[in-house]
Amino acid sequence: MNTKKLSLTAMLTAAALIIFVAESQIPPIVPIVGVKLGLANVITLVALYLLSPREAFFISIIRIVLGSIFTGHLMSFFFSLAGGLLCYAAMLFASKIFSKQQIWAVSVLGAIAHNAGQLCVALFMLGRSEILWYSPVLLLSALITGAFTGVTAQLVIHRFNKEK
Amino acid sequence: MKISNKILIFSFVTAVVLAVAAVVFIHSAGIGEGIAVIYLKGEVVEEIDLNAVTESYTIDVGDGNTVLVEPGRISMLSADCPDQLCVKRGAISDSLYPIVCLPNEVMILISGSTGSGQQPDAIAGR
Repeated sequence: MNTKKLSLTAMLTAAALIIFVAESQIPPIVPIVGVKLGLANVITLVALYLLSPREAFFISIIRIVLGSIFTGHLMSFFFSLAGGLLCYAAMLFASKIFSKQQIWAVSVLGAIAHNAGQLCVALFMLGRSEILWYSPVLLLSALITGAFTGVTAQLVIHRFNKEK
Repeated sequence: MKISNKILIFSFVTAVVLAVAAVVFIHSAGIGEGIAVIYLKGEVVEEIDLNAVTESYTIDVGDGNTVLVEPGRISMLSADCPDQLCVKRGAISDSLYPIVCLPNEVMILISGSTGSGQQPDAIAGR
Protein backbone atom coordinates (compact mmCIF):
# COMPACT_ATOMS: atom_id res chain seq x y z
CA MET A 1 0.00 0.00 0.00
CA ASN A 2 1.64 3.26 -1.02
CA THR A 3 1.46 6.51 0.89
CA LYS A 4 -1.13 8.08 -1.36
CA LYS A 5 -3.44 5.13 -1.02
CA LEU A 6 -2.92 5.00 2.72
CA SER A 7 -3.72 8.66 3.23
CA LEU A 8 -6.78 8.49 0.99
CA THR A 9 -8.02 5.47 2.96
CA ALA A 10 -7.47 7.30 6.25
CA MET A 11 -9.18 10.42 4.94
CA LEU A 12 -12.19 8.47 3.70
CA THR A 13 -12.46 6.65 7.03
CA ALA A 14 -12.50 9.97 8.86
CA ALA A 15 -15.05 11.40 6.43
CA ALA A 16 -17.28 8.33 6.82
CA LEU A 17 -17.14 8.61 10.59
CA ILE A 18 -17.95 12.33 10.55
CA ILE A 19 -20.90 11.78 8.25
CA PHE A 20 -22.10 8.88 10.39
CA VAL A 21 -21.93 10.85 13.64
CA ALA A 22 -23.43 14.00 12.09
CA GLU A 23 -26.30 12.04 10.62
CA SER A 24 -27.06 10.37 13.94
CA GLN A 25 -27.68 13.85 15.41
CA ILE A 26 -30.44 14.59 12.94
CA PRO A 27 -33.81 13.65 14.42
CA PRO A 28 -35.48 10.89 12.39
CA ILE A 29 -38.12 12.10 9.95
CA VAL A 30 -40.07 8.87 9.97
CA PRO A 31 -40.51 7.34 13.44
CA ILE A 32 -39.63 3.84 12.32
CA VAL A 33 -36.52 1.95 13.33
CA GLY A 34 -34.16 1.50 10.42
CA VAL A 35 -35.46 4.32 8.27
CA LYS A 36 -32.53 6.64 7.80
CA LEU A 37 -30.51 8.15 5.00
CA GLY A 38 -27.29 6.19 5.43
CA LEU A 39 -25.13 8.91 3.92
CA ALA A 40 -21.95 7.28 5.23
CA ASN A 41 -22.47 4.60 2.64
CA VAL A 42 -21.44 7.15 0.01
CA ILE A 43 -17.90 6.79 1.35
CA THR A 44 -17.98 3.00 1.20
CA LEU A 45 -19.05 3.26 -2.43
CA VAL A 46 -16.37 5.82 -3.23
CA ALA A 47 -13.73 3.58 -1.65
CA LEU A 48 -15.06 0.56 -3.51
CA TYR A 49 -14.59 2.33 -6.84
CA LEU A 50 -11.57 4.54 -6.22
CA LEU A 51 -9.52 2.23 -4.01
CA SER A 52 -10.29 -1.46 -3.81
CA PRO A 53 -12.84 -3.81 -2.21
CA ARG A 54 -10.36 -4.49 0.60
CA GLU A 55 -10.06 -0.82 1.60
CA ALA A 56 -13.81 -0.34 1.27
CA PHE A 57 -14.37 -3.25 3.62
CA PHE A 58 -12.04 -1.90 6.30
CA ILE A 59 -13.38 1.64 6.02
CA SER A 60 -16.89 0.32 6.49
CA ILE A 61 -15.98 -1.87 9.50
CA ILE A 62 -13.92 0.83 11.23
CA ARG A 63 -16.71 3.35 10.68
CA ILE A 64 -19.23 0.98 12.25
CA VAL A 65 -17.07 0.11 15.27
CA LEU A 66 -16.01 3.70 16.01
CA GLY A 67 -19.41 5.10 15.07
CA SER A 68 -21.13 2.81 17.57
CA ILE A 69 -18.68 3.84 20.28
CA PHE A 70 -19.27 7.52 19.55
CA THR A 71 -23.03 7.46 19.17
CA GLY A 72 -24.12 5.16 21.93
CA HIS A 73 -25.70 1.83 22.44
CA LEU A 74 -24.03 -1.54 22.19
CA MET A 75 -27.25 -2.82 20.65
CA SER A 76 -26.98 -0.50 17.68
CA PHE A 77 -23.54 -1.98 17.02
CA PHE A 78 -24.99 -5.37 16.12
CA PHE A 79 -27.58 -3.75 13.88
CA SER A 80 -25.00 -1.63 12.12
CA LEU A 81 -22.62 -4.56 11.76
CA ALA A 82 -25.20 -6.95 10.32
CA GLY A 83 -26.50 -4.25 7.99
CA GLY A 84 -23.03 -3.04 7.06
CA LEU A 85 -21.64 -6.48 6.22
CA LEU A 86 -24.65 -7.47 4.11
CA CYS A 87 -24.64 -4.07 2.42
CA TYR A 88 -20.95 -4.47 1.59
CA ALA A 89 -21.42 -7.96 0.19
CA ALA A 90 -24.35 -6.87 -1.96
CA MET A 91 -22.51 -3.81 -3.29
CA LEU A 92 -19.36 -5.80 -4.07
CA PHE A 93 -21.44 -8.26 -6.06
CA ALA A 94 -23.47 -5.54 -7.77
CA SER A 95 -20.42 -3.48 -8.68
CA LYS A 96 -19.21 -6.38 -10.81
CA ILE A 97 -22.46 -6.42 -12.79
CA PHE A 98 -23.36 -2.76 -13.16
CA SER A 99 -21.49 -0.19 -15.20
CA LYS A 100 -19.90 3.04 -13.95
CA GLN A 101 -23.07 4.88 -14.95
CA GLN A 102 -25.16 2.62 -12.77
CA ILE A 103 -23.50 3.11 -9.41
CA TRP A 104 -26.82 4.37 -8.06
CA ALA A 105 -28.26 0.88 -8.61
CA VAL A 106 -25.34 -0.67 -6.73
CA SER A 107 -26.21 1.62 -3.83
CA VAL A 108 -29.90 0.70 -3.98
CA LEU A 109 -29.07 -3.02 -3.74
CA GLY A 110 -26.68 -2.28 -0.89
CA ALA A 111 -29.37 -0.34 0.98
CA ILE A 112 -31.89 -3.15 0.52
CA ALA A 113 -29.36 -5.68 1.84
CA HIS A 114 -28.56 -3.34 4.74
CA ASN A 115 -32.17 -3.08 5.82
CA ALA A 116 -32.72 -6.80 5.32
CA GLY A 117 -29.78 -7.47 7.64
CA GLN A 118 -31.16 -5.15 10.28
CA LEU A 119 -34.60 -6.72 10.03
CA CYS A 120 -33.03 -10.16 10.57
CA VAL A 121 -31.25 -8.97 13.72
CA ALA A 122 -34.51 -7.44 14.98
CA LEU A 123 -36.34 -10.66 14.22
CA PHE A 124 -33.77 -12.65 16.13
CA MET A 125 -33.73 -10.26 19.09
CA LEU A 126 -37.46 -9.73 19.49
CA GLY A 127 -38.34 -13.26 18.53
CA ARG A 128 -41.68 -12.37 16.95
CA SER A 129 -42.48 -12.65 13.27
CA GLU A 130 -44.91 -9.67 13.45
CA ILE A 131 -41.87 -7.45 12.97
CA LEU A 132 -41.88 -8.57 9.34
CA TRP A 133 -44.85 -6.27 8.70
CA TYR A 134 -42.20 -3.59 8.64
CA SER A 135 -40.42 -5.09 5.65
CA PRO A 136 -42.32 -3.15 2.91
CA VAL A 137 -41.63 0.14 4.71
CA LEU A 138 -37.97 -0.76 5.03
CA LEU A 139 -37.82 -1.81 1.38
CA LEU A 140 -39.37 1.47 0.26
CA SER A 141 -37.00 3.38 2.51
CA ALA A 142 -34.02 1.48 1.08
CA LEU A 143 -35.10 2.20 -2.49
CA ILE A 144 -35.38 5.93 -1.91
CA THR A 145 -32.38 6.48 0.37
CA GLY A 146 -30.25 4.04 -1.64
CA ALA A 147 -30.96 5.87 -4.87
CA PHE A 148 -30.18 9.22 -3.24
CA THR A 149 -26.87 8.17 -1.68
CA GLY A 150 -26.04 6.23 -4.86
CA VAL A 151 -26.46 9.27 -7.09
CA THR A 152 -24.35 11.28 -4.65
CA ALA A 153 -21.60 8.65 -4.71
CA GLN A 154 -21.74 8.42 -8.50
CA LEU A 155 -21.22 12.18 -8.81
CA VAL A 156 -18.31 12.10 -6.34
CA ILE A 157 -16.63 9.17 -8.09
CA HIS A 158 -16.89 10.76 -11.53
CA ARG A 159 -15.61 14.05 -10.19
CA PHE A 160 -12.63 12.29 -8.60
CA ASN A 161 -11.86 10.44 -11.83
CA LYS A 162 -11.88 13.70 -13.80
CA GLU A 163 -9.44 15.33 -11.37
CA LYS A 164 -6.92 12.52 -11.74
CA MET B 1 -22.85 -9.06 -18.25
CA LYS B 2 -24.38 -5.73 -19.17
CA ILE B 3 -27.72 -4.48 -18.03
CA SER B 4 -29.28 -1.57 -19.90
CA ASN B 5 -30.33 1.56 -18.09
CA LYS B 6 -33.89 1.13 -19.30
CA ILE B 7 -34.28 -2.24 -17.60
CA LEU B 8 -32.63 -0.92 -14.47
CA ILE B 9 -34.87 2.13 -14.18
CA PHE B 10 -37.93 0.08 -15.04
CA SER B 11 -37.20 -2.45 -12.27
CA PHE B 12 -36.47 0.36 -9.84
CA VAL B 13 -39.79 2.09 -10.53
CA THR B 14 -41.65 -1.22 -10.38
CA ALA B 15 -40.08 -2.00 -7.01
CA VAL B 16 -41.04 1.44 -5.68
CA VAL B 17 -44.65 1.04 -6.86
CA LEU B 18 -44.92 -2.46 -5.33
CA ALA B 19 -43.41 -1.29 -2.05
CA VAL B 20 -45.79 1.69 -1.88
CA ALA B 21 -48.74 -0.61 -2.59
CA ALA B 22 -47.65 -3.00 0.17
CA VAL B 23 -47.17 -0.15 2.65
CA VAL B 24 -50.59 1.32 1.84
CA PHE B 25 -52.19 -2.11 2.12
CA ILE B 26 -50.65 -2.82 5.53
CA HIS B 27 -51.60 0.65 6.73
CA SER B 28 -55.23 0.23 5.76
CA ALA B 29 -55.52 -3.34 7.02
CA GLY B 30 -56.44 -3.35 10.69
CA ILE B 31 -56.51 -6.37 12.92
CA GLY B 32 -59.91 -5.54 14.34
CA GLU B 33 -59.89 -6.79 17.89
CA GLY B 34 -57.84 -4.75 20.25
CA ILE B 35 -55.84 -7.17 22.32
CA ALA B 36 -52.47 -5.61 23.09
CA VAL B 37 -49.60 -7.90 24.02
CA ILE B 38 -46.43 -6.48 25.57
CA TYR B 39 -43.20 -8.40 25.13
CA LEU B 40 -39.90 -8.00 26.93
CA LYS B 41 -36.97 -9.88 25.40
CA GLY B 42 -39.33 -12.23 23.59
CA GLU B 43 -41.42 -13.06 26.68
CA VAL B 44 -45.03 -11.98 27.18
CA VAL B 45 -45.22 -9.50 30.04
CA GLU B 46 -48.78 -8.33 29.80
CA GLU B 47 -51.87 -8.98 27.75
CA ILE B 48 -54.53 -6.27 27.71
CA ASP B 49 -57.97 -6.16 26.12
CA LEU B 50 -57.94 -2.54 25.03
CA ASN B 51 -61.70 -2.44 24.56
CA ALA B 52 -62.22 -3.40 28.20
CA VAL B 53 -60.05 -0.55 29.47
CA THR B 54 -62.15 2.20 31.03
CA GLU B 55 -59.50 4.29 32.76
CA SER B 56 -56.01 5.15 31.61
CA TYR B 57 -53.06 3.71 33.51
CA THR B 58 -49.37 3.03 33.03
CA ILE B 59 -47.27 -0.12 33.23
CA ASP B 60 -43.51 -0.23 33.75
CA VAL B 61 -41.85 -2.71 31.45
CA GLY B 62 -38.31 -3.81 32.26
CA ASP B 63 -35.98 -1.12 33.52
CA GLY B 64 -36.54 1.76 31.17
CA ASN B 65 -39.93 1.65 29.50
CA THR B 66 -43.32 2.92 30.58
CA VAL B 67 -46.40 1.95 28.61
CA LEU B 68 -49.55 4.05 28.65
CA VAL B 69 -52.81 2.12 28.36
CA GLU B 70 -55.89 4.10 27.39
CA PRO B 71 -59.41 3.03 26.45
CA GLY B 72 -59.06 1.48 23.00
CA ARG B 73 -55.41 2.32 22.45
CA ILE B 74 -51.89 1.84 23.75
CA SER B 75 -48.66 3.79 23.48
CA MET B 76 -45.13 4.05 24.83
CA LEU B 77 -45.12 6.88 27.33
CA SER B 78 -41.38 6.97 27.95
CA ALA B 79 -38.22 5.05 27.24
CA ASP B 80 -34.63 5.53 28.35
CA CYS B 81 -33.12 4.88 24.93
CA PRO B 82 -31.46 7.71 22.97
CA ASP B 83 -33.53 7.61 19.79
CA GLN B 84 -37.03 7.67 21.39
CA LEU B 85 -38.50 6.10 18.26
CA CYS B 86 -41.05 4.04 20.16
CA VAL B 87 -42.33 7.13 22.00
CA LYS B 88 -42.58 9.18 18.80
CA ARG B 89 -44.52 6.35 17.23
CA GLY B 90 -47.61 7.45 19.20
CA ALA B 91 -50.64 5.37 20.12
CA ILE B 92 -51.84 2.31 18.23
CA SER B 93 -55.23 0.64 18.38
CA ASP B 94 -55.49 -1.91 15.58
CA SER B 95 -52.26 -1.44 13.64
CA LEU B 96 -50.38 -4.36 12.11
CA TYR B 97 -47.14 -2.55 12.88
CA PRO B 98 -45.97 -3.29 16.39
CA ILE B 99 -44.45 -0.56 18.55
CA VAL B 100 -40.83 -1.53 18.93
CA CYS B 101 -38.15 -0.32 21.31
CA LEU B 102 -35.12 -2.14 19.99
CA PRO B 103 -32.50 -1.00 22.52
CA ASN B 104 -34.53 -2.44 25.39
CA GLU B 105 -36.04 -5.29 23.38
CA VAL B 106 -39.59 -4.22 24.19
CA MET B 107 -42.41 -4.74 21.73
CA ILE B 108 -46.12 -3.97 21.87
CA LEU B 109 -48.27 -5.62 19.27
CA ILE B 110 -51.97 -5.79 18.65
CA SER B 111 -53.17 -9.33 18.46
CA GLY B 112 -56.42 -10.60 16.94
CA SER B 113 -57.32 -12.81 19.88
CA THR B 114 -56.22 -13.56 23.42
CA GLY B 115 -53.77 -16.36 24.01
CA SER B 116 -51.96 -15.95 20.74
CA GLY B 117 -48.95 -14.71 22.67
CA GLN B 118 -48.45 -18.14 24.18
CA GLN B 119 -48.18 -19.91 20.84
CA PRO B 120 -44.69 -21.00 19.90
CA ASP B 121 -43.18 -18.87 17.23
CA ALA B 122 -42.18 -20.65 14.07
CA ILE B 123 -39.34 -18.30 13.27
CA ALA B 124 -37.53 -17.46 16.43
CA GLY B 125 -39.29 -18.59 19.58
CA ARG B 126 -37.09 -18.02 22.55
